[in-house]
Amino acid sequence: MFKFLLKGVFRDRHRWLFPVLIVMFAVALLIFTFSFLEGYKGSYIRQTARFNTGHLKVVSRAYAEMLDLKPYDLALLDISEELQEYKQRYPQLDWVERINFGALLDVPDAEGETRVQGEVIGFAIDLFTDDTESKRLQLASALKSGKLPAAQREILLSAIAAEKLEIQVGDTITLIGSTVFGAMSMQNFLVSGTVEFGILSLDQGAVVADLNDIRMMLDMEDSAGEILAFFKSGEYERREATRIANDFNARYSDPEDEFSPQMLRLSDQGNIGYILTMLDYSVLWMSIGFILVLGIVLWNAGLLNSIRRYGEFGVRLAIGESKRRVYWSLLTEAIIVGHRGRIPGESSWARPSVCISITSAWI
Amino acid sequence: MHLITGFLGSGKTTLLNILGSLDTPTQGTVEVLKTKIHEIKQKEASRLRSEHIGFIFQTYNLLPVYNVYENVEFPLLLLKMDANKREKMVKDAIEWVGLTDKIKSRPNQLSGGQCQRVAIARAMVKKPDLVLADEPTANLDTENSHNILDTMLKLNRELKTSFIFSTHDPKVIGYLRRIIRLIDGEVQSDDLASGI
Ligand SMILES: Nc1ncnc2c1ncn2[C@@H]1O[C@H](COP(=O)(O)OP(=O)(O)O)[C@@H](O)[C@H]1O
Ligand SMILES: [Mg+2]
Repeated sequence: MFKFLLKGVFRDRHRWLFPVLIVMFAVALLIFTFSFLEGYKGSYIRQTARFNTGHLKVVSRAYAEMLDLKPYDLALLDISEELQEYKQRYPQLDWVERINFGALLDVPDAEGETRVQGEVIGFAIDLFTDDTESKRLQLASALKSGKLPAAQREILLSAIAAEKLEIQVGDTITLIGSTVFGAMSMQNFLVSGTVEFGILSLDQGAVVADLNDIRMMLDMEDSAGEILAFFKSGEYERREATRIANDFNARYSDPEDEFSPQMLRLSDQGNIGYILTMLDYSVLWMSIGFILVLGIVLWNAGLLNSIRRYGEFGVRLAIGESKRRVYWSLLTEAIIVGHRGRIPGESSWARPSVCISITSAWI
Repeated sequence: MHLITGFLGSGKTTLLNILGSLDTPTQGTVEVLKTKIHEIKQKEASRLRSEHIGFIFQTYNLLPVYNVYENVEFPLLLLKMDANKREKMVKDAIEWVGLTDKIKSRPNQLSGGQCQRVAIARAMVKKPDLVLADEPTANLDTENSHNILDTMLKLNRELKTSFIFSTHDPKVIGYLRRIIRLIDGEVQSDDLASGI
Protein backbone atom coordinates (compact mmCIF):
# COMPACT_ATOMS: atom_id res chain seq x y z
CA MET A 1 0.00 0.00 0.00
CA PHE A 2 2.90 2.35 0.79
CA LYS A 3 4.35 1.72 -2.65
CA PHE A 4 0.94 2.38 -4.11
CA LEU A 5 0.76 5.74 -2.36
CA LEU A 6 4.30 6.57 -3.40
CA LYS A 7 3.41 6.01 -7.04
CA GLY A 8 0.33 8.15 -6.65
CA VAL A 9 2.24 11.02 -5.11
CA PHE A 10 4.98 11.10 -7.69
CA ARG A 11 2.81 10.68 -10.74
CA ASP A 12 0.48 13.48 -9.77
CA ARG A 13 2.50 16.63 -10.11
CA HIS A 14 -0.25 18.65 -8.40
CA ARG A 15 0.29 16.61 -5.30
CA TRP A 16 3.99 17.24 -4.89
CA LEU A 17 5.31 20.05 -7.03
CA PHE A 18 4.00 23.03 -5.13
CA PRO A 19 4.56 21.68 -1.62
CA VAL A 20 8.00 20.39 -2.57
CA LEU A 21 8.98 23.75 -3.99
CA ILE A 22 7.66 25.55 -0.94
CA VAL A 23 9.32 23.23 1.53
CA MET A 24 12.54 23.29 -0.45
CA PHE A 25 12.57 27.04 -0.63
CA ALA A 26 11.63 27.47 3.01
CA VAL A 27 14.19 25.01 4.30
CA ALA A 28 16.91 26.62 2.21
CA LEU A 29 15.88 30.08 3.32
CA LEU A 30 15.65 29.05 6.95
CA ILE A 31 19.07 27.47 6.91
CA PHE A 32 20.47 30.48 5.12
CA THR A 33 18.95 32.92 7.60
CA PHE A 34 20.04 30.84 10.53
CA SER A 35 23.57 30.56 9.20
CA PHE A 36 23.65 34.21 8.36
CA LEU A 37 22.70 35.18 11.90
CA GLU A 38 25.11 32.65 13.37
CA GLY A 39 27.83 34.03 11.16
CA TYR A 40 26.87 37.54 12.12
CA LYS A 41 26.91 36.64 15.78
CA GLY A 42 30.34 35.06 15.40
CA SER A 43 31.82 38.11 13.72
CA TYR A 44 30.15 40.40 16.19
CA ILE A 45 31.65 38.50 19.10
CA ARG A 46 35.06 38.41 17.45
CA GLN A 47 35.12 42.09 16.68
CA THR A 48 33.75 43.19 20.02
CA ALA A 49 36.22 40.96 21.82
CA ARG A 50 39.19 42.23 19.84
CA PHE A 51 38.56 45.93 20.22
CA ASN A 52 36.58 46.27 23.36
CA THR A 53 35.71 43.49 25.72
CA GLY A 54 38.21 40.69 25.36
CA HIS A 55 36.77 37.28 26.05
CA LEU A 56 37.19 38.20 29.68
CA LYS A 57 38.19 41.49 31.19
CA VAL A 58 39.63 42.44 34.57
CA VAL A 59 38.99 45.95 35.89
CA SER A 60 38.66 47.51 39.32
CA ARG A 61 35.22 47.20 40.87
CA ALA A 62 34.87 50.96 40.69
CA TYR A 63 35.82 50.95 37.00
CA ALA A 64 33.28 48.17 36.37
CA GLU A 65 30.55 50.39 37.75
CA MET A 66 31.21 52.94 35.02
CA LEU A 67 32.50 50.61 32.38
CA ASP A 68 31.11 52.53 29.42
CA LEU A 69 32.90 55.73 30.45
CA LYS A 70 36.31 53.98 30.53
CA PRO A 71 37.32 55.93 33.66
CA TYR A 72 41.10 55.37 33.56
CA ASP A 73 41.50 57.27 36.82
CA LEU A 74 39.88 54.21 38.45
CA ALA A 75 42.49 51.90 36.91
CA LEU A 76 44.06 48.88 38.56
CA LEU A 77 47.31 49.92 40.22
CA ASP A 78 50.54 47.97 40.77
CA ILE A 79 49.39 45.10 38.67
CA SER A 80 52.48 43.32 37.36
CA GLU A 81 52.67 40.82 40.22
CA GLU A 82 48.99 40.01 40.12
CA LEU A 83 49.14 39.69 36.38
CA GLN A 84 51.91 37.11 36.69
CA GLU A 85 49.73 35.16 39.07
CA TYR A 86 46.71 35.34 36.74
CA LYS A 87 48.82 34.11 33.85
CA GLN A 88 49.92 31.11 35.87
CA ARG A 89 46.50 30.30 37.26
CA TYR A 90 44.69 30.56 33.95
CA PRO A 91 47.17 29.32 31.38
CA GLN A 92 44.44 28.83 28.78
CA LEU A 93 44.24 32.62 28.42
CA ASP A 94 46.38 35.27 26.75
CA TRP A 95 46.52 38.42 28.85
CA VAL A 96 46.99 41.99 27.64
CA GLU A 97 46.86 45.36 29.35
CA ARG A 98 45.17 48.34 27.78
CA ILE A 99 44.30 51.89 28.66
CA ASN A 100 41.40 53.75 27.12
CA PHE A 101 41.54 57.47 27.66
CA GLY A 102 40.20 60.74 26.37
CA ALA A 103 42.47 63.58 25.31
CA LEU A 104 42.61 66.83 23.44
CA LEU A 105 44.58 66.71 20.24
CA ASP A 106 46.43 69.90 19.48
CA VAL A 107 48.08 70.61 16.13
CA PRO A 108 50.70 73.35 16.22
CA ASP A 109 51.56 75.53 13.20
CA ALA A 110 55.07 76.49 12.05
CA GLU A 111 55.41 79.04 14.88
CA GLY A 112 54.35 76.52 17.49
CA GLU A 113 50.94 78.17 17.99
CA THR A 114 47.79 76.04 18.08
CA ARG A 115 46.50 75.65 14.56
CA VAL A 116 43.56 73.35 15.30
CA GLN A 117 42.29 71.25 18.21
CA GLY A 118 40.01 68.24 18.48
CA GLU A 119 38.89 65.67 21.05
CA VAL A 120 40.12 62.13 20.52
CA ILE A 121 39.61 58.76 22.10
CA GLY A 122 42.93 57.25 23.05
CA PHE A 123 43.54 53.57 22.67
CA ALA A 124 46.77 52.48 24.34
CA ILE A 125 48.02 48.99 23.54
CA ASP A 126 51.31 47.21 23.69
CA LEU A 127 52.78 47.89 20.27
CA PHE A 128 56.39 46.93 20.79
CA THR A 129 56.88 43.94 23.13
CA ASP A 130 55.61 41.68 20.39
CA ASP A 131 53.09 41.90 17.58
CA THR A 132 50.18 40.01 19.19
CA GLU A 133 48.19 43.17 19.80
CA SER A 134 48.86 44.68 16.38
CA LYS A 135 47.81 41.38 14.86
CA ARG A 136 44.74 41.11 17.06
CA LEU A 137 43.56 44.54 15.99
CA GLN A 138 44.67 43.90 12.42
CA LEU A 139 46.46 47.22 12.36
CA ALA A 140 48.32 46.39 9.18
CA SER A 141 45.12 45.94 7.20
CA ALA A 142 43.49 48.95 8.87
CA LEU A 143 46.36 51.18 7.79
CA LYS A 144 45.25 53.74 5.20
CA SER A 145 48.45 55.71 4.81
CA GLY A 146 51.93 55.87 6.34
CA LYS A 147 53.18 52.94 8.38
CA LEU A 148 52.78 51.32 11.77
CA PRO A 149 54.62 52.96 14.70
CA ALA A 150 58.19 51.72 14.80
CA ALA A 151 59.50 53.66 17.80
CA GLN A 152 58.24 55.19 21.04
CA ARG A 153 56.09 58.28 20.70
CA GLU A 154 54.79 57.38 17.32
CA ILE A 155 51.05 57.03 16.97
CA LEU A 156 48.33 56.10 14.53
CA LEU A 157 45.47 58.50 13.93
CA SER A 158 42.09 57.65 12.51
CA ALA A 159 41.90 58.66 8.86
CA ILE A 160 38.70 60.64 9.33
CA ALA A 161 40.13 62.69 12.19
CA ALA A 162 43.34 63.25 10.22
CA GLU A 163 41.34 64.64 7.31
CA LYS A 164 39.11 66.77 9.50
CA LEU A 165 42.05 68.27 11.37
CA GLU A 166 44.21 68.46 8.25
CA ILE A 167 46.97 66.35 9.69
CA GLN A 168 49.47 64.58 7.42
CA VAL A 169 51.52 61.48 8.08
CA GLY A 170 54.80 62.72 9.54
CA ASP A 171 53.23 65.69 11.38
CA THR A 172 53.88 66.15 15.06
CA ILE A 173 50.84 66.53 17.26
CA THR A 174 50.34 67.13 20.95
CA LEU A 175 48.01 65.12 23.17
CA ILE A 176 46.74 67.02 26.17
CA GLY A 177 45.19 64.98 28.94
CA SER A 178 45.12 64.68 32.68
CA THR A 179 47.02 62.21 34.81
CA VAL A 180 45.31 59.77 37.14
CA PHE A 181 46.06 62.26 39.89
CA GLY A 182 44.22 65.04 38.08
CA ALA A 183 47.21 67.05 36.87
CA MET A 184 47.38 68.28 33.28
CA SER A 185 49.82 66.43 31.06
CA MET A 186 51.08 66.91 27.54
CA GLN A 187 53.05 64.78 25.18
CA ASN A 188 54.19 65.21 21.60
CA PHE A 189 53.73 62.39 19.14
CA LEU A 190 54.70 61.76 15.58
CA VAL A 191 51.84 60.58 13.34
CA SER A 192 53.30 57.49 11.65
CA GLY A 193 50.14 56.52 9.81
CA THR A 194 46.38 56.78 9.54
CA VAL A 195 43.94 53.95 10.09
CA GLU A 196 40.37 53.01 9.35
CA PHE A 197 38.88 50.05 11.24
CA GLY A 198 35.37 50.11 9.87
CA ILE A 199 34.10 50.66 13.42
CA LEU A 200 32.29 53.92 13.72
CA SER A 201 33.29 54.82 17.28
CA LEU A 202 36.96 54.33 16.52
CA ASP A 203 36.99 55.89 13.08
CA GLN A 204 35.31 59.07 14.28
CA GLY A 205 38.43 60.13 16.13
CA ALA A 206 40.79 57.71 17.76
CA VAL A 207 44.49 57.56 18.29
CA VAL A 208 46.30 54.28 18.78
CA ALA A 209 49.39 54.74 20.93
CA ASP A 210 51.87 52.52 22.68
CA LEU A 211 50.92 51.53 26.22
CA ASN A 212 54.21 52.63 27.74
CA ASP A 213 54.02 56.11 26.21
CA ILE A 214 50.57 56.61 27.63
CA ARG A 215 51.50 55.21 31.01
CA MET A 216 54.21 57.81 31.17
CA MET A 217 51.98 60.61 29.98
CA LEU A 218 49.12 59.77 32.36
CA ASP A 219 51.31 58.87 35.29
CA MET A 220 50.06 55.27 35.23
CA GLU A 221 53.29 53.40 35.82
CA ASP A 222 52.49 49.69 36.36
CA SER A 223 48.78 50.21 36.06
CA ALA A 224 46.21 49.54 33.39
CA GLY A 225 42.66 50.62 32.91
CA GLU A 226 41.71 47.18 31.70
CA ILE A 227 43.33 43.79 31.53
CA LEU A 228 41.87 41.76 28.71
CA ALA A 229 42.10 38.00 28.44
CA PHE A 230 41.61 35.98 25.28
CA PHE A 231 41.22 32.25 24.95
CA LYS A 232 44.28 30.84 23.28
CA SER A 233 41.94 28.95 20.96
CA GLY A 234 40.86 32.31 19.58
CA GLU A 235 37.16 31.52 20.06
CA TYR A 236 34.92 32.67 22.87
CA GLU A 237 34.03 29.68 25.03
CA ARG A 238 30.91 30.63 26.88
CA ARG A 239 30.91 27.94 29.57
CA GLU A 240 34.59 28.11 30.28
CA ALA A 241 34.41 31.91 30.47
CA THR A 242 31.70 31.65 33.12
CA ARG A 243 33.68 29.11 35.06
CA ILE A 244 36.85 31.20 35.01
CA ALA A 245 35.06 34.43 35.91
CA ASN A 246 33.36 32.81 38.90
CA ASP A 247 36.61 31.31 40.06
CA PHE A 248 38.51 34.56 39.59
CA ASN A 249 35.97 36.71 41.41
CA ALA A 250 35.69 34.29 44.31
CA ARG A 251 39.44 34.33 44.63
CA TYR A 252 40.43 37.95 44.05
CA SER A 253 37.44 40.23 44.16
CA ASP A 254 36.36 41.88 47.38
CA PRO A 255 32.94 43.58 47.36
CA GLU A 256 34.11 45.79 50.23
CA ASP A 257 37.10 47.13 48.29
CA GLU A 258 36.20 49.10 45.20
CA PHE A 259 39.76 48.94 43.92
CA SER A 260 39.89 45.17 44.07
CA PRO A 261 39.81 43.48 40.66
CA GLN A 262 36.68 42.10 39.12
CA MET A 263 36.45 39.82 36.14
CA LEU A 264 33.74 40.40 33.55
CA ARG A 265 32.73 38.03 30.79
CA LEU A 266 32.22 39.32 27.29
CA SER A 267 28.47 39.07 27.82
CA ASP A 268 28.59 40.98 31.13
CA GLN A 269 29.82 44.11 29.45
CA GLY A 270 27.50 46.86 28.29
CA ASN A 271 24.56 45.56 26.31
CA ILE A 272 26.48 42.79 24.59
CA GLY A 273 24.77 40.06 26.54
CA TYR A 274 21.45 41.56 25.55
CA ILE A 275 22.42 41.77 21.88
CA LEU A 276 23.55 38.15 21.84
CA THR A 277 20.36 37.01 23.52
CA MET A 278 18.31 39.02 21.04
CA LEU A 279 20.16 37.43 18.16
CA ASP A 280 19.40 33.99 19.56
CA TYR A 281 15.76 34.89 20.05
CA SER A 282 15.45 36.36 16.61
CA VAL A 283 16.60 33.05 15.16
CA LEU A 284 14.01 31.28 17.25
CA TRP A 285 11.18 33.66 16.36
CA MET A 286 12.09 33.65 12.73
CA SER A 287 11.98 29.88 12.70
CA ILE A 288 8.61 29.86 14.41
CA GLY A 289 7.25 32.50 12.04
CA PHE A 290 8.58 30.63 9.07
CA ILE A 291 7.04 27.38 10.14
CA LEU A 292 3.71 29.08 10.78
CA VAL A 293 3.64 30.76 7.38
CA LEU A 294 4.80 27.57 5.76
CA GLY A 295 2.10 25.68 7.60
CA ILE A 296 -0.62 28.05 6.42
CA VAL A 297 0.56 27.99 2.82
CA LEU A 298 0.74 24.22 2.78
CA TRP A 299 -2.54 23.87 4.62
CA ASN A 300 -4.26 25.90 1.91
CA ALA A 301 -2.52 23.98 -0.82
CA GLY A 302 -3.73 20.83 0.90
CA LEU A 303 -7.31 22.10 1.06
CA LEU A 304 -7.31 22.97 -2.63
CA ASN A 305 -5.87 19.59 -3.39
CA SER A 306 -8.52 17.87 -1.31
CA ILE A 307 -11.26 19.64 -3.21
CA ARG A 308 -9.66 18.49 -6.44
CA ARG A 309 -9.46 14.95 -5.12
CA TYR A 310 -12.89 14.86 -3.53
CA GLY A 311 -14.14 12.38 -6.12
CA GLU A 312 -11.20 10.11 -5.52
CA PHE A 313 -11.88 9.94 -1.80
CA GLY A 314 -15.53 9.14 -2.50
CA VAL A 315 -14.58 6.25 -4.73
CA ARG A 316 -12.06 4.95 -2.26
CA LEU A 317 -14.65 5.03 0.51
CA ALA A 318 -17.11 3.22 -1.76
CA ILE A 319 -14.54 0.56 -2.56
CA GLY A 320 -14.32 -0.10 1.14
CA GLU A 321 -11.38 1.91 2.40
CA SER A 322 -12.17 3.22 5.88
CA LYS A 323 -12.11 6.94 6.60
CA ARG A 324 -9.28 6.42 8.99
CA ARG A 325 -7.17 4.78 6.28
CA VAL A 326 -7.86 7.64 3.91
CA TYR A 327 -6.62 10.12 6.55
CA TRP A 328 -3.58 7.99 7.17
CA SER A 329 -2.77 7.78 3.52
CA LEU A 330 -2.96 11.58 3.27
CA LEU A 331 -0.63 11.93 6.22
CA THR A 332 1.77 9.47 4.64
CA GLU A 333 1.66 11.40 1.41
CA ALA A 334 2.39 14.61 3.31
CA ILE A 335 5.44 13.05 4.91
CA ILE A 336 6.68 11.71 1.58
CA VAL A 337 6.28 15.13 0.00
CA GLY A 338 7.88 16.87 2.98
CA HIS A 339 10.93 14.69 2.70
CA ARG A 340 11.20 15.20 -0.97
CA GLY A 341 11.30 18.96 -0.35
CA ARG A 342 13.56 18.87 2.67
CA ILE A 343 16.42 16.99 1.12
CA PRO A 344 17.23 19.32 -1.78
CA GLY A 345 16.50 22.26 0.52
CA GLU A 346 19.14 21.08 2.92
CA SER A 347 21.73 20.04 0.47
CA SER A 348 21.58 23.13 -1.68
CA TRP A 349 23.85 26.13 -1.51
CA ALA A 350 22.38 26.83 1.89
CA ARG A 351 24.69 24.44 3.69
CA PRO A 352 25.33 26.09 7.06
CA SER A 353 29.13 26.01 7.02
CA VAL A 354 29.23 27.65 3.63
CA CYS A 355 26.83 30.34 4.74
CA ILE A 356 28.61 31.08 7.95
CA SER A 357 31.85 31.60 6.13
CA ILE A 358 30.22 33.73 3.45
CA THR A 359 28.66 35.87 6.15
CA SER A 360 31.87 36.19 8.08
CA ALA A 361 33.80 37.12 5.00
CA TRP A 362 31.19 39.65 4.04
CA ILE A 363 31.15 41.32 7.42
CA MET B 1 -29.49 -8.98 -12.83
CA HIS B 2 -31.90 -6.69 -11.05
CA LEU B 3 -32.86 -3.30 -12.25
CA ILE B 4 -34.03 -0.25 -10.43
CA THR B 5 -35.58 2.18 -12.85
CA GLY B 6 -37.51 5.42 -12.63
CA PHE B 7 -37.39 9.03 -13.75
CA LEU B 8 -34.60 11.42 -12.96
CA GLY B 9 -34.73 12.27 -9.27
CA SER B 10 -36.96 9.38 -8.35
CA GLY B 11 -34.48 8.04 -5.80
CA LYS B 12 -32.44 5.41 -7.68
CA THR B 13 -29.02 6.65 -6.59
CA THR B 14 -30.25 7.08 -3.06
CA LEU B 15 -31.54 3.55 -2.92
CA LEU B 16 -28.30 2.13 -4.29
CA ASN B 17 -26.24 4.16 -1.86
CA ILE B 18 -28.29 2.81 1.00
CA LEU B 19 -27.92 -0.72 -0.28
CA GLY B 20 -24.17 -0.16 -0.45
CA SER B 21 -24.14 1.27 3.09
CA LEU B 22 -22.76 4.58 1.80
CA ASP B 23 -25.90 6.27 3.04
CA THR B 24 -28.22 5.53 5.94
CA PRO B 25 -31.99 5.51 5.70
CA THR B 26 -33.91 7.99 7.84
CA GLN B 27 -36.48 5.34 8.60
CA GLY B 28 -37.20 1.70 7.96
CA THR B 29 -34.88 -1.29 7.86
CA VAL B 30 -32.53 -2.50 5.14
CA GLU B 31 -30.99 -5.91 5.00
CA VAL B 32 -28.26 -6.65 2.47
CA LEU B 33 -26.31 -9.92 2.38
CA LYS B 34 -27.86 -10.85 5.72
CA THR B 35 -26.52 -7.64 7.30
CA LYS B 36 -28.84 -5.06 8.81
CA ILE B 37 -27.40 -2.02 7.03
CA HIS B 38 -29.45 0.47 9.04
CA GLU B 39 -27.77 -0.45 12.31
CA ILE B 40 -24.12 -1.13 11.47
CA LYS B 41 -21.22 1.15 12.35
CA GLN B 42 -19.07 2.96 9.81
CA LYS B 43 -16.21 0.56 10.28
CA GLU B 44 -18.37 -2.50 9.70
CA ALA B 45 -19.85 -0.79 6.67
CA SER B 46 -16.35 -0.26 5.25
CA ARG B 47 -15.60 -3.91 5.82
CA LEU B 48 -18.82 -5.04 4.22
CA ARG B 49 -18.04 -2.92 1.17
CA SER B 50 -14.43 -3.93 0.88
CA GLU B 51 -15.19 -7.65 1.16
CA HIS B 52 -18.60 -8.19 -0.39
CA ILE B 53 -19.80 -5.25 -2.47
CA GLY B 54 -18.51 -3.76 -5.70
CA PHE B 55 -19.49 -0.38 -7.12
CA ILE B 56 -19.79 0.86 -10.68
CA PHE B 57 -20.55 4.52 -11.31
CA GLN B 58 -22.01 6.47 -14.16
CA THR B 59 -18.82 8.52 -14.48
CA TYR B 60 -16.43 5.52 -14.09
CA ASN B 61 -14.51 7.27 -11.29
CA LEU B 62 -11.20 5.59 -11.98
CA LEU B 63 -8.20 6.94 -10.06
CA PRO B 64 -6.53 9.07 -12.74
CA VAL B 65 -2.91 8.74 -11.65
CA TYR B 66 -2.97 4.95 -11.69
CA ASN B 67 -2.94 2.67 -14.71
CA VAL B 68 -5.49 -0.06 -15.48
CA TYR B 69 -3.63 -2.69 -13.52
CA GLU B 70 -3.26 -0.46 -10.45
CA ASN B 71 -6.89 0.68 -10.53
CA VAL B 72 -8.07 -2.90 -10.56
CA GLU B 73 -5.52 -3.85 -7.92
CA PHE B 74 -6.64 -1.18 -5.46
CA PRO B 75 -9.60 -3.04 -3.83
CA LEU B 76 -7.33 -6.02 -3.23
CA LEU B 77 -4.76 -3.85 -1.45
CA LEU B 78 -7.42 -3.21 1.16
CA LEU B 79 -7.78 -6.95 1.72
CA LYS B 80 -4.75 -8.65 3.15
CA MET B 81 -3.52 -11.19 0.65
CA ASP B 82 -0.46 -12.73 -0.84
CA ALA B 83 1.12 -10.70 -3.66
CA ASN B 84 1.17 -13.55 -6.19
CA LYS B 85 -2.44 -14.37 -5.62
CA ARG B 86 -3.30 -10.70 -5.95
CA GLU B 87 -1.49 -10.40 -9.25
CA LYS B 88 -3.32 -13.39 -10.65
CA MET B 89 -6.70 -12.05 -9.56
CA VAL B 90 -5.99 -8.64 -11.08
CA LYS B 91 -4.93 -10.16 -14.39
CA ASP B 92 -7.98 -12.44 -14.47
CA ALA B 93 -10.33 -9.53 -13.83
CA ILE B 94 -8.73 -7.50 -16.61
CA GLU B 95 -9.08 -10.47 -18.92
CA TRP B 96 -12.82 -10.83 -18.11
CA VAL B 97 -13.41 -7.36 -19.46
CA GLY B 98 -11.04 -7.85 -22.43
CA LEU B 99 -8.48 -5.18 -21.62
CA THR B 100 -5.33 -7.26 -21.25
CA ASP B 101 -3.62 -5.23 -23.97
CA LYS B 102 -4.34 -1.95 -22.12
CA ILE B 103 -2.97 -3.07 -18.78
CA LYS B 104 -0.43 -0.23 -18.53
CA SER B 105 -2.68 2.52 -19.88
CA ARG B 106 -3.88 5.40 -17.76
CA PRO B 107 -7.61 6.28 -17.71
CA ASN B 108 -7.03 9.38 -19.85
CA GLN B 109 -5.70 7.14 -22.63
CA LEU B 110 -8.89 5.02 -22.73
CA SER B 111 -12.31 5.53 -24.30
CA GLY B 112 -15.43 5.83 -22.16
CA GLY B 113 -16.42 2.24 -22.87
CA GLN B 114 -12.95 1.01 -21.93
CA CYS B 115 -12.99 3.04 -18.73
CA GLN B 116 -16.30 1.53 -17.72
CA ARG B 117 -14.90 -1.95 -18.39
CA VAL B 118 -11.96 -1.13 -16.10
CA ALA B 119 -14.53 -0.04 -13.51
CA ILE B 120 -16.31 -3.37 -13.90
CA ALA B 121 -13.02 -5.22 -13.48
CA ARG B 122 -12.34 -3.15 -10.38
CA ALA B 123 -15.77 -3.97 -8.96
CA MET B 124 -15.42 -7.67 -9.83
CA VAL B 125 -11.80 -8.36 -8.96
CA LYS B 126 -12.51 -9.40 -5.39
CA LYS B 127 -15.41 -11.60 -6.58
CA PRO B 128 -18.00 -9.79 -4.47
CA ASP B 129 -21.43 -11.18 -3.72
CA LEU B 130 -23.13 -8.05 -4.94
CA VAL B 131 -22.32 -5.35 -7.48
CA LEU B 132 -24.18 -2.05 -7.38
CA ALA B 133 -24.10 -0.08 -10.62
CA ASP B 134 -25.58 3.40 -10.82
CA GLU B 135 -26.54 4.21 -14.42
CA PRO B 136 -23.47 2.43 -15.83
CA THR B 137 -24.48 3.00 -19.45
CA ALA B 138 -25.66 6.58 -19.21
CA ASN B 139 -22.50 8.04 -20.72
CA LEU B 140 -22.01 5.36 -23.37
CA ASP B 141 -23.22 4.92 -26.95
CA THR B 142 -25.42 1.96 -27.98
CA GLU B 143 -22.61 -0.36 -28.99
CA ASN B 144 -20.59 0.21 -25.84
CA SER B 145 -23.72 -0.06 -23.69
CA HIS B 146 -24.47 -3.50 -25.09
CA ASN B 147 -20.87 -4.48 -24.73
CA ILE B 148 -20.88 -3.51 -21.07
CA LEU B 149 -24.19 -5.21 -20.39
CA ASP B 150 -22.99 -8.40 -22.13
CA THR B 151 -19.90 -8.39 -19.98
CA MET B 152 -21.94 -7.92 -16.83
CA LEU B 153 -24.37 -10.65 -17.82
CA LYS B 154 -21.50 -13.05 -18.50
CA LEU B 155 -19.96 -12.36 -15.11
CA ASN B 156 -23.38 -12.66 -13.48
CA ARG B 157 -23.70 -16.16 -14.87
CA GLU B 158 -20.11 -17.36 -14.50
CA LEU B 159 -19.31 -15.95 -11.07
CA LYS B 160 -22.83 -16.01 -9.63
CA THR B 161 -22.53 -12.37 -8.63
CA SER B 162 -25.76 -10.45 -8.15
CA PHE B 163 -25.98 -7.17 -10.01
CA ILE B 164 -28.33 -4.41 -9.01
CA PHE B 165 -28.29 -1.42 -11.21
CA SER B 166 -30.22 1.67 -11.87
CA THR B 167 -31.00 3.16 -15.22
CA HIS B 168 -33.63 4.95 -17.19
CA ASP B 169 -32.15 3.58 -20.40
CA PRO B 170 -34.65 1.32 -22.27
CA LYS B 171 -31.83 -0.65 -24.03
CA VAL B 172 -31.05 -2.26 -20.74
CA ILE B 173 -34.44 -3.83 -20.11
CA GLY B 174 -33.79 -6.94 -22.19
CA TYR B 175 -30.96 -8.08 -19.94
CA LEU B 176 -32.90 -8.24 -16.74
CA ARG B 177 -34.66 -10.59 -14.43
CA ARG B 178 -36.38 -8.26 -12.02
CA ILE B 179 -37.39 -4.64 -12.52
CA ILE B 180 -38.29 -2.30 -9.69
CA ARG B 181 -39.87 0.97 -10.74
CA LEU B 182 -39.55 3.99 -8.45
CA ILE B 183 -41.57 7.17 -8.52
CA ASP B 184 -40.90 9.93 -6.01
CA GLY B 185 -38.98 7.60 -3.75
CA GLU B 186 -41.75 5.02 -3.67
CA VAL B 187 -41.81 1.59 -5.29
CA GLN B 188 -44.38 1.78 -8.04
CA SER B 189 -43.98 -1.74 -9.42
CA ASP B 190 -41.78 -4.81 -8.88
CA ASP B 191 -41.87 -7.29 -11.79
CA LEU B 192 -40.02 -10.39 -12.85
CA ALA B 193 -39.10 -9.69 -16.43
CA SER B 194 -39.75 -12.03 -19.33
CA GLY B 195 -36.46 -11.35 -21.16
CA ILE B 196 -34.32 -13.86 -19.31
N1 LIG C 1 -37.34 7.43 -0.45
C1 LIG C 1 -37.07 8.75 -0.47
N2 LIG C 1 -37.70 9.60 0.36
C2 LIG C 1 -37.41 10.91 0.34
N3 LIG C 1 -36.49 11.49 -0.51
C3 LIG C 1 -35.86 10.70 -1.36
C4 LIG C 1 -36.11 9.30 -1.39
N4 LIG C 1 -35.31 8.76 -2.36
C5 LIG C 1 -34.60 9.79 -2.88
N5 LIG C 1 -34.93 10.97 -2.31
C6 LIG C 1 -34.38 12.28 -2.64
O1 LIG C 1 -34.62 12.56 -4.01
C7 LIG C 1 -33.53 13.23 -4.61
C8 LIG C 1 -33.08 12.58 -5.89
O2 LIG C 1 -32.69 11.25 -5.61
P1 LIG C 1 -31.67 10.43 -6.49
O3 LIG C 1 -31.45 9.15 -5.76
O4 LIG C 1 -30.47 11.24 -6.81
O5 LIG C 1 -32.49 10.18 -7.80
P2 LIG C 1 -32.04 9.48 -9.15
O6 LIG C 1 -30.73 8.83 -8.92
O7 LIG C 1 -33.15 8.51 -9.41
O8 LIG C 1 -32.00 10.55 -10.17
C9 LIG C 1 -32.40 13.26 -3.57
O9 LIG C 1 -32.33 14.58 -3.02
C10 LIG C 1 -32.85 12.28 -2.51
O10 LIG C 1 -32.46 12.69 -1.21
MG1 LIG D 1 -28.87 9.16 -9.94
